[in-house]
Amino acid sequence: MKYTLPALLVSLLLSFNASAMTLQDAKNNALVGEQINGYLAVITSSAEVEALVTDINAKRLQHYQRIAQKNGLSTASVAKLAAEKAIEAANTGHIYQDKKGMWQTK
Amino acid sequence: MLISLVSACTPTVRIEPSDKPIVINLNVKIEHDIRIKVDKELDNLLENEQLF
Repeated sequence: MKYTLPALLVSLLLSFNASAMTLQDAKNNALVGEQINGYLAVITSSAEVEALVTDINAKRLQHYQRIAQKNGLSTASVAKLAAEKAIEAANTGHIYQDKKGMWQTK
Repeated sequence: MLISLVSACTPTVRIEPSDKPIVINLNVKIEHDIRIKVDKELDNLLENEQLF
């Protein structure tokens, strides 16, 4: 009970921080791009975008590792499969890497 | 006389192994199953708008 209030404050702070720029905002404004390795890249740099991309990529890595371990695959191969899906599902205007690693706009 | 009797009673069983190796290939099915499982898990993951 003693720690509930600080924990609440921290989570509020974090949620405000996260709501400052969402991934969808960043994608829609072409600030980030989807790479063929399964991770996001910064296209237009700012402290906010860098922080967002670092955070998301760390979380993606955790999920890739979990799925890879569960299925006896390498993390990189799971990440690559995710990239194919993410790029295929990207909306018009979103930035992605083609198979040669060149940046394209959907 | 004794030797010839003993040798006459020795059975000869010869098993000749096939010179071709026996190969059972299950890789395709296993890979296919994994691919389907991973596909589904990734589809679920991609629905998370915080990550994709």
